Amino acid sequence: MTRPRPSFRFPWRSRADIAREVDAELAFHLDMRVRELVAGGMNAGDARRAAAAEFGDLEGTRTYCRAADARSDRAARAADRLTEWRQDARYALRTMRRSPAFAAISLLTLALAIGANTAIFSVVRAVLLRPLPYADPGRLVAVNESWPFDPGTHAPLSPPDYVDYRAQQHAFTDLGAYSTAMGPVVWQPAGADPTTLNGIPADAHLFRVLGVGAALGRTFDDDASGDSSSVVLSSGFWRRALGSDPHAVGRRLVLNGRSMTVIGVMPRGFVLDRTEDIYLPLDIRDDLARPEITRKQHWVLVIGRLRPGVSLEAGRADLAVVAHRLAVQYPAADSGRNAIVTPLHERAAGTLRTPLLLLQAAAAIVLLIACANLMNLTLSRTIGRRQELALRAALGAGRGRIIRQLLTESLLLAGAGGALGVALAIAATRALLAINPGTLPPLFAVGVDRQVLAFSVLLSVAAGALFGLIPALHAMGAGANDALKEGGRGANATRSGGGVRRVLVTAQVALAVMLLVGAGLLTRSFTELTRVQLGFDPAHVVTAQLRVSGPRYDSVPTTNAFYDGVLGEIARAPAVIAAGAATILPTQGSVSTSMRIEGQPVDESRLPDMAYVAIRGHYLEAMRIPLLAGRRFDASDTPDGPKRVLVNQTAARRYFSNGDAVGKRIRIGPDPNGEWMTIVGVVGDVRSGGLDQPPIPTLYVMHAQEAWSHTLSVVMRTSDARAAIDALRRAVKDADPSMPLRNIEPMDDVVGARLAARRFALGLAGSFAGLALVLATLGIYGVLAYEVSTRTREFGVRLALGATPASVLALVARRGLAWSIVGLSLGIAGAVAGARLLTGALYGVGPLDVTTYALVAAGSLLIVTVASVVPAHRATRVDPLSSMRSE
Amino acid sequence: MSRTPSELLQGTVDILILRALAWEPMHGYAISRWLDARSNGVLAVDGAALYQALHRLEERRLVSASWGTSENNRKAKYYTLTAAGRSRLRAESAVWRTYAEAVTKVLKPA
Repeated sequence: MTRPRPSFRFPWRSRADIAREVDAELAFHLDMRVRELVAGGMNAGDARRAAAAEFGDLEGTRTYCRAADARSDRAARAADRLTEWRQDARYALRTMRRSPAFAAISLLTLALAIGANTAIFSVVRAVLLRPLPYADPGRLVAVNESWPFDPGTHAPLSPPDYVDYRAQQHAFTDLGAYSTAMGPVVWQPAGADPTTLNGIPADAHLFRVLGVGAALGRTFDDDASGDSSSVVLSSGFWRRALGSDPHAVGRRLVLNGRSMTVIGVMPRGFVLDRTEDIYLPLDIRDDLARPEITRKQHWVLVIGRLRPGVSLEAGRADLAVVAHRLAVQYPAADSGRNAIVTPLHERAAGTLRTPLLLLQAAAAIVLLIACANLMNLTLSRTIGRRQELALRAALGAGRGRIIRQLLTESLLLAGAGGALGVALAIAATRALLAINPGTLPPLFAVGVDRQVLAFSVLLSVAAGALFGLIPALHAMGAGANDALKEGGRGANATRSGGGVRRVLVTAQVALAVMLLVGAGLLTRSFTELTRVQLGFDPAHVVTAQLRVSGPRYDSVPTTNAFYDGVLGEIARAPAVIAAGAATILPTQGSVSTSMRIEGQPVDESRLPDMAYVAIRGHYLEAMRIPLLAGRRFDASDTPDGPKRVLVNQTAARRYFSNGDAVGKRIRIGPDPNGEWMTIVGVVGDVRSGGLDQPPIPTLYVMHAQEAWSHTLSVVMRTSDARAAIDALRRAVKDADPSMPLRNIEPMDDVVGARLAARRFALGLAGSFAGLALVLATLGIYGVLAYEVSTRTREFGVRLALGATPASVLALVARRGLAWSIVGLSLGIAGAVAGARLLTGALYGVGPLDVTTYALVAAGSLLIVTVASVVPAHRATRVDPLSSMRSE
Repeated sequence: MSRTPSELLQGTVDILILRALAWEPMHGYAISRWLDARSNGVLAVDGAALYQALHRLEERRLVSASWGTSENNRKAKYYTLTAAGRSRLRAESAVWRTYAEAVTKVLKPA
């Protein structure tokens, strides 16, 4: 028997190939047998039959062999792939080790870009994508009412309206209500100092609507009377304050001086508004008893659950019918009011939606710029490596194989960069949220979870493919032969890929300019906001919240005695210059009421809407809110004397002729027969709603006469904040040691808190824009530097032939500048088109603010000029002789 | 000998093929001739069992296959023992020898 001469076998075969080979093999066997039998004297026909009979199940064998072959081919292919990939990866690692600078820059760029995207996405996911912690949250809606004739507003419902909506609707399984208007609740633990808790009154319907039951015990019953001294705990409070006591149900807590029984504990993760500690029964029986007054008092927050199969539109239509019926039935309270139904998730995300999406877009732009940069770097490198690649191709590596190898390099880089980026994002989000508490509603838990990780992996792979594939395809397109012939770094290296690189650099500059304009506009808005005339002076003012609670303070005289005692005591402290108190501090929002002016015609459905602040002591002096006309409250205004009121300048101008309000009489509140109050003075406007909200008409009443609010913010103007706070603590302790102080903070911080979210977003946008600019600059610099290095010989020749260094400088720098200026113009055009998206976030500047655009353009131009001139300068330093010898 | 490969026989055919290839690469027909000749026709394996076994062994990478030219100048598929096949043959042979000795001992008249 001779040795076989193996012929080439294709590494993997098609189904048809396999079938053919199996057939040929079996046919060979049968032929050989037939030949042997014929040689032994059998006739051909008999021999064939005999051979077939001897063979056995021919068809079965055919099928068996084909299947086995297909399986082994598949296994072989997989093994080949794996080996190849291992080779590629090893090769890629070796290549990277040889150019550590490239690897380091790529890794850093990718880590920053992917980190930024991951960080923002983790917030986007928490705020916009993660379902709310309730059962089937997609069917939950928030129900609000608009103010009469102002369809854009979202007001809470009044208790009688809520009950009517609930009874008359058909589209919802139920409506439930809660309120966030309740002040802090004072808890007196046995044998410890009193502390304040966040309490939310909620009704039985609400827990049913949300579809969340108690983890321990139960939630409230429908009949509020049975539960009036019951309390449900949040999981957090139960763990923190009761040490996760499994027998918490039935325990008694002293809350606001009353003993209440714990009937249940909510499951972990359940939250209604903020980090609330306890839920109390929402008791609106008193309100329902006198609807003629309370129908105008809007403070109940309502959530509904759409019936299965009922659309949001149908739900809206259903409540619109009820709203119309109410408007007809109770014109004084409800005419012109509409029901507003919004998906609950939308209300929860609220104003965060647009800024978050904008930030995500900015991060995406940074990633695009980073990819363009890496594409450029990779392109330069692959062109530099053309000889190596051509050699590999000549040695038998297929096109696909080489592309796969180059892709392996970029994917490895992207993978490593992505991993670093995720680590960076985790650290950064933690740090940022720790530095800026209160930026996000606590309802949202921000963190890197599986979905965020999947997003980052996807992003990394996409980035790697993007910046690896195009240069790889490009390098392969150039053709191996030319590269081999050309030797070293030929003149061609400059030209090939030049077009792609120009486009990339131009795009980078354009994108960076867009981001810079955005960040510039936000910065200008921020500075405008910090320059806003507050109307008061927050410097050297400390504030603290002080609440009285318990049956003792149900009477006005004891409340007055307590506060007068405290304020009088601290006024005597040497550190305190002026001290007072108010129900609500400037920039913290407003409580509103309506006003009727004596002698002016009254349109019941359009009473003036007024902010309402009750003050005590020398509040106006402590805040330095100026008196413009008349007088402040003084000792002649007694709690039981005639009612006095102050108005702010806006109110005086808007509702009184010539702004002349002093001496006029008004009634406030919904009751048309309320007591007349005399305006004794006009004071300056303050920014009550927030820094970006213009002042609104405001009434100041005497807390001593209107002591319905049991929580006051004490305000002290002082030269020594610590001494003032000590004095306040002593004064409170002397007056009633069971009353807690909380939220002690400088007024500057109260104001600053209103800027926190803005500062946070601005910081992010600014860093993104800065990063984009750095990357784009690096891009220009890199491309030009590479070009200079490949054209050394040309510059040498030029200089040898008498070109001046200046002309060589101009030659190189002009190219970089030309691309940059195209990019700059495109970027400005893009910014003009895109800046409208920012309108909501801007204050005091328009989206087309010329100064911002001019500054960005000038700054960018300066930086790209430097980035172009530095490598160009190198070109002029070429030594003609050595440059020509070097090749 | 039955012509239907039983479970026992399948293993037997495998080891016989490996043994045949231990000498040199062969095509299927040559293997069947070799087995016939070595066992004086006692271990005649039918074509169906032989080729199913060969492809099974190829899938398990105990043999590898390539096309070559046969003695009468026709294209034929040649099978070669792989390193794995060789060590399997060694192991299986030892087992068989022990087994055969044991059976012989039992059957020997006392």
